[in-house]
Amino acid sequence: MTKKLKRTMAALAAAAVTAAGLTACAGPSGGTGAEDDVAPAGTDAEASIIWYGWTPGPPATDNYIKAFNEMYPNIKVEWKQVDIDGYNAAVRPAIASDSSPDVYQMSAGSANGGAVIFGDSALDLTNDVKNLLGDDWRSKFSAVAIDTMTVNDRLVALAAGMVYAGNLWINQDIFDKYGLTAPTTLDEWKTVCATLESNGVGCFVQGVAQGAFDIDTLHAIAEQVEPGWFDKALTGQAKWTDEQWVQTLELWKRLFDEGIMQDGAAGLMQYPEVNNAFLAQEYAMVMMGTWYTMYVQPETMKQAMEAAGVADPVPFTITPIMLPDLVGKGNTGHLFADPDYANGVSAKSKNVAAAKAFTLWYSARPEGQQAIADSLNLLPVLSGVTPNWDNIELVNPEVQESAVKDLFEVAESSTSQRFGGISADMNDALVVTAQSVATGQATPQQAAETLQSTADSL
Amino acid sequence: MAIRTGSRRARGRNQAPGLPWILPAMALVVGLIYYAIGDTFYISTLDWNGVSPFAEEVGAGNFAKMFADPVFWQSLTHTAVFFVCTFALQTLIGFTFAAILHTEVKLRTVHKVIVFLPTVLAPATMAPTFRLLFSDAGMLNDILRGIGLDKLAHPWLADPNTALPTIMLITVWQWTGMTFILYYASMSQIDSDILEAARLDGAGNFRVLSAIVWPSCRGTTTVMAILGFIGALKTFDVPWLVTVGGPNHATEFLGTYIYRQGIRNSHVGYAAAISLALLVLAVAGAILMTLNNRRQAK
Amino acid sequence: MFEIRRLSAKITIQVVLALLAIPYLIPLVQMVVGSLRGTGFGNYEAVWNTGVVPRFFLNSAIVAAGTIAIVYAVTMTAAFGFAKLRIFGKEVYFWLLLAALTLPEVVLLTPLFVTANTLGMYDTLLAVILPLAALQAPFTILLARNFYDGVPTELMEAGRVDGAGVVKVFWHIILPLTRPIAAAIIVLTLLNAWNSYLLPLVMLQSADHQVVTLLPQFFVGEFANDQTKVLASAVIIAIPEVVAYICLQKYFERGLSAGALK
Repeated sequence: MTKKLKRTMAALAAAAVTAAGLTACAGPSGGTGAEDDVAPAGTDAEASIIWYGWTPGPPATDNYIKAFNEMYPNIKVEWKQVDIDGYNAAVRPAIASDSSPDVYQMSAGSANGGAVIFGDSALDLTNDVKNLLGDDWRSKFSAVAIDTMTVNDRLVALAAGMVYAGNLWINQDIFDKYGLTAPTTLDEWKTVCATLESNGVGCFVQGVAQGAFDIDTLHAIAEQVEPGWFDKALTGQAKWTDEQWVQTLELWKRLFDEGIMQDGAAGLMQYPEVNNAFLAQEYAMVMMGTWYTMYVQPETMKQAMEAAGVADPVPFTITPIMLPDLVGKGNTGHLFADPDYANGVSAKSKNVAAAKAFTLWYSARPEGQQAIADSLNLLPVLSGVTPNWDNIELVNPEVQESAVKDLFEVAESSTSQRFGGISADMNDALVVTAQSVATGQATPQQAAETLQSTADSL
Repeated sequence: MAIRTGSRRARGRNQAPGLPWILPAMALVVGLIYYAIGDTFYISTLDWNGVSPFAEEVGAGNFAKMFADPVFWQSLTHTAVFFVCTFALQTLIGFTFAAILHTEVKLRTVHKVIVFLPTVLAPATMAPTFRLLFSDAGMLNDILRGIGLDKLAHPWLADPNTALPTIMLITVWQWTGMTFILYYASMSQIDSDILEAARLDGAGNFRVLSAIVWPSCRGTTTVMAILGFIGALKTFDVPWLVTVGGPNHATEFLGTYIYRQGIRNSHVGYAAAISLALLVLAVAGAILMTLNNRRQAK
Repeated sequence: MFEIRRLSAKITIQVVLALLAIPYLIPLVQMVVGSLRGTGFGNYEAVWNTGVVPRFFLNSAIVAAGTIAIVYAVTMTAAFGFAKLRIFGKEVYFWLLLAALTLPEVVLLTPLFVTANTLGMYDTLLAVILPLAALQAPFTILLARNFYDGVPTELMEAGRVDGAGVVKVFWHIILPLTRPIAAAIIVLTLLNAWNSYLLPLVMLQSADHQVVTLLPQFFVGEFANDQTKVLASAVIIAIPEVVAYICLQKYFERGLSAGALK
């Protein structure tokens, strides 16, 4: 029984969507067809657009805007950064108002600015992408990038780049110093930790208070127990009370009981504390995804170390490794992906042509995607674009270039979603599962039962 | 000369009409906030994500969901415990500070600023500092181990049993400055002649404090109780920023739960229903406290 | 409040004071130490080099001054009305005010935004000042009413006998007596206005209209959280409030003890 809402805001939003629909048919310049919606490259038409988002922020955003202005010199882009926690609160009224931002960021699923919810206020970009890239435009993108941003058959935003999670990073310099090699099994991992700790170095560190990273670790373990099972459970094709999940939770608990997780993990956040502790070389291993690749660049690494409180930092070598095989079935190396963020065009934008031009440049043009790729923060969504390794300086090229290329290769072959299929309520429930098991408030079996009953009630 | 909120003496015979005096405040507050309250009433009957032009009308469904939601009750319990403990501790420390600093002691301004400073610092910037302070290798545990209390040392925020008390301590740290300021202002209202007369009668410091100063500050204590009560119901930033209400909802409060449901999870209607429950509790609690204070004042 | 003659008592009370203060000091020290990690004073330089510090400070000052002016005016008059004058259904009005305190800010954001947008105030500092004042006033009226209750009504009656009108009595007799609570109200309103974060975040869009609480955002991204500079920002943001408090603190001590009754 859905009934139309008469509230001011909703009426505004509804009017906006209708108006936008009309605009999309008529085009701003008076009915010459949908392709005129996007400002053509090199246009003289002047426009100014406001771009709302939480990431990556300056200087990266300044650089992207500068690169965009090489193609569109007369479109002024103003970036407004809203912190990740306040994003929903700030953007929700803004996109319903007459002073809406023109472009605003969304993410997969139901996270901050989740496309499933915030996509309602964005224009459908399908035709614009089709006009730019042709009828086979879908095949030119990473599938997850398009799937997560398609809501009710509308392409509500264009992913800027992908992040993959499920892997770890190690401090190679510390490993080398103590003659260690990256662990591949739980026993090896315990030995590595024992050696490191006897030398006064922390082993593995994770911020269990910050739920998203708990889900990453649980997901990675679940992929080892049975590849693809986690997605089945999320879509209701498997029960959380199944032995696969109970085993996953038992292994998660062992990380705490066997001294792999640092003491008090449940009281720390991944950002800033854990990130800082790893960058300050207090710990040798951390669970971070492909976004950490940016720290193979000496300048980025140096700044990050300073931000972590290290005086006169000397960049160290980090290398990606897969989560050690906790199960013993050899199912390692499964990563899962999300668009880190995507840009959508607000239905209430008064500069639709310019806003679309910017959004398309960012995600669907090689120029924009090259800038994303070279940052090493995200993997590009547009196929055929790869980081320009010749222009990228590495801390330790010998070790890192091949390691990162291998990581990217594994990443690009993965088809599983990171948070795209997890609703906000499910996210809360998974975090409760992780934390109640970690703190010993529930056994794996009990936590699994609680999770299933929560899932049933959603 | 006892201070009484709404005391009888205030309602003398020759009073001028007061409505024009309160009108500006009423216009400002009612004009801006009551629309929001009405709006919240309406939204609480909807199943709505806050963005979509469509919403489903669910009547009292959100309230039914709330009463059946164990996390809501958990949050309510935490809020009650939190109010009692933080209010008692803050009053004790704030009152003591105010009394001592009304005395001739050295470094008064320095001490005042130290107690005042936490109230000006945004919890967002302090949250990571506190997580480290109370972590396994944190300063608190260093101190405990240093004085031989190794058994007490543990990661305070990671343990669901100590996370809530830790959040309370952080809150007390943050808000004692406010309690202090108000007691300090209130004590300056006490007639120095009365204090001197009591001393001439041979009353000692603690007698003066308990028989004159504390009763004179009763109005302030009541106000602080009301504000503390409403503040506890709304408690949001410290638990949200320090522990995100965790681990496992151990530090979930009504305020954080409203944020979680309304902003983060986009269940705007459900969050509105919890907000209304909060409003009812706050008004009822505040009225009870005022009535109680008046009864005691007689 | 204590009368101390013996030296041992003086030392005891000084020690008690210090012991009470130390737990309050520790996190503050950690904060300052944290703000100097990494590049040391370079962190403060980095905050300054964002180039927005003067502009943000000015905006915050305008917001704070505007809010304080409105709150002070409506509080002092309303509390006087509630405490000392005849109003039919007084308590009903009072509780209507107090109820406005109870909704969490996040619940108010969307309706306030709609109001601001309708009135054409969006992206102006007024869109922050008015809601801040409306949210602060019930709180300060509650405080001030309680304080006014403690002002003897005889003082007013004495004034009336002298033939002064209510306005004059308020202006010349009552207002000077309420300095301690007025100072407290100004400090508390300043705190709230200066530290407000969600309202400016939602109501202000253009870079020219941002306020100091948005400074740390320059150093917090999704994959970067530069605590050293966030803490440096926090220290910088706190300075004006501490200065204001130190300047106002002498008023806290001037109440009836200043001899108003004699």
